[in-house]
Amino acid sequence: MKQRHAKWKDRGKSVVIVLTILLLLVMLFPFFVMITTMLRSSKEVYLAPPRWIPQAVTFKNFVLVWTQYLLAGYFKSSAIIAIGSTALNLLLSIPAAYAIARLRFKGQQLALYLFLVVQMFSPIVVVIALFKTFARLGLLDSYGGLIVINAVFSMAFSIWLLSGYFKSIPVEIEEAAFIDGATRRQTVLKIILPIAAPGLVTTSIYTFIAAWNEFLFALSFIQTQSKMPLTLGLYRFVGRWSSQWELLTTAAFLAVIPVLVLFYIIQQRLVAGLAGGAVKG
Amino acid sequence: MKRGLTTANTRILTREARLAYLLLLPAVVVVLGFMLYPLVYVLMMSINKTNRLGWLTGFVGIANYLAVLGDREFWRLAGRSLLWTGLAVFAKTFLGMCIALLLNVEYRGRKIARMLFIAPWASSVPISVLLWSWVYNPQFGLLNHTLKLTGLWPNPPIWLGYPLSGFIAAIWVDIWLGVPFMALVFLAGMQSIPEEQYESAHLDGVNAFQKYFYITLPSIKRILQIATLLSALWTFNDFNAIYILTGGGPVNSTDILITSIYKNAFVYAHFDRAAVMAVITFFILTAISLVYANFYFKEES
Repeated sequence: MKQRHAKWKDRGKSVVIVLTILLLLVMLFPFFVMITTMLRSSKEVYLAPPRWIPQAVTFKNFVLVWTQYLLAGYFKSSAIIAIGSTALNLLLSIPAAYAIARLRFKGQQLALYLFLVVQMFSPIVVVIALFKTFARLGLLDSYGGLIVINAVFSMAFSIWLLSGYFKSIPVEIEEAAFIDGATRRQTVLKIILPIAAPGLVTTSIYTFIAAWNEFLFALSFIQTQSKMPLTLGLYRFVGRWSSQWELLTTAAFLAVIPVLVLFYIIQQRLVAGLAGGAVKG
Repeated sequence: MKRGLTTANTRILTREARLAYLLLLPAVVVVLGFMLYPLVYVLMMSINKTNRLGWLTGFVGIANYLAVLGDREFWRLAGRSLLWTGLAVFAKTFLGMCIALLLNVEYRGRKIARMLFIAPWASSVPISVLLWSWVYNPQFGLLNHTLKLTGLWPNPPIWLGYPLSGFIAAIWVDIWLGVPFMALVFLAGMQSIPEEQYESAHLDGVNAFQKYFYITLPSIKRILQIATLLSALWTFNDFNAIYILTGGGPVNSTDILITSIYKNAFVYAHFDRAAVMAVITFFILTAISLVYANFYFKEES
């Protein structure tokens, strides 16, 4: 009886594994295409019918993307925009999150509600009017404009996440510091922020990734080739050089690796944050 | 001097409140300046005539709204947006559930499978969509080649060449992008269900389907609701999948509201029309997010 049960269980497990592999083949197919394309010469890219695996594996595309096309410039732009947005985001959201988590004031619920609703805001709704705002502030076609707008659009989530972290720190720790004569600023800098470090890391990485991957604002506001981030640069590249997919897949691979690594660091906390505490119960 | 954190002294309270407002000020200012002000300006554009740069050139009241609402094309776009959202969210929920159930079984290599399933979510959306346009390439792309070779579909369509197949191709990319989030959230919910519940059910001779419908599903109901709501918001809002893949083409046949707003403003310079559609979109999205916020706050209290 028990043996039969075990046998069924094993069979069930093999079914699960087979189904998992099939689904993975479907889900990972574009990545397979990316890797198999970037490892071949242009001659082997344009074969009809195409081949799954290149006959001669080559790494020369990894050299060509830097010399034949402005990948370095796109990387630089993406890095400036993503780092700038992250810094600005933290600067704005740490104080706000602390206030929401620790201080009592009228309108606290309102502030929370505002940031939650703003988190749902659609970039497309505002982008058509932002064009004019940006023109007036001289932010069109500049890193500054993208830095500001990316910081603003991930701020709500940052405040949300950070205030959760701040709340989870026992008030007694802070009170003890006050009794010892510490000022609030000292308490925040020396006690609260170090304890909330995991939350700060998650927030920073989230903002960084969001800015690195952003496309709509870059498409709307950036004209100059040298200021284009990777997403826009590669998109334009497809339009202009549609016949060089071996280079595009190579560039895509290089552009995706940094975010992929960062994403795996925070994915567990991100899921909990996005599901809004519902995961716990 | 002792600063009160918990004492309800009025004087300290006002000081505390003043500090709070000061700390909130920068965040609130940028939200007002870069989100609410543009929103108000969009509202203004929707009730004014606009020139090719988006400047207001004269109040027209609801004339723009009447023009948009009287246009068949708008209703086609709205319908397509709803179809897009409905189909994609349903598929994401279904596939995400399947993957979560598979990942909830213990076997060696499960962690690796989980890592691999996340990949579409973890990589950059616009770049993934670009990759898909290469995958769909009718001549040299590997999708049609694979479909033919495996006999799954001996005569696959030129995906991005026709309205229907273009729409299916784009919606699949959107589904593909959204499934990992669903799967992970569902999985997190399933893993918080105590093992004993299943064990006692097993002793009672309950089969796998009954376990799923009487234990698993009720336990993750809240997560299911929140995840589908969030997903509906993101899906409705998805610009990249359609814009990068088909550009709304052929001949605007795969446009949804979101891509059409963008094109009306930045390609055709019809800012008033774009603004009207943006305002309507805003109200649809706000409705969805208010439902979400209510769910959230119910849980909090």
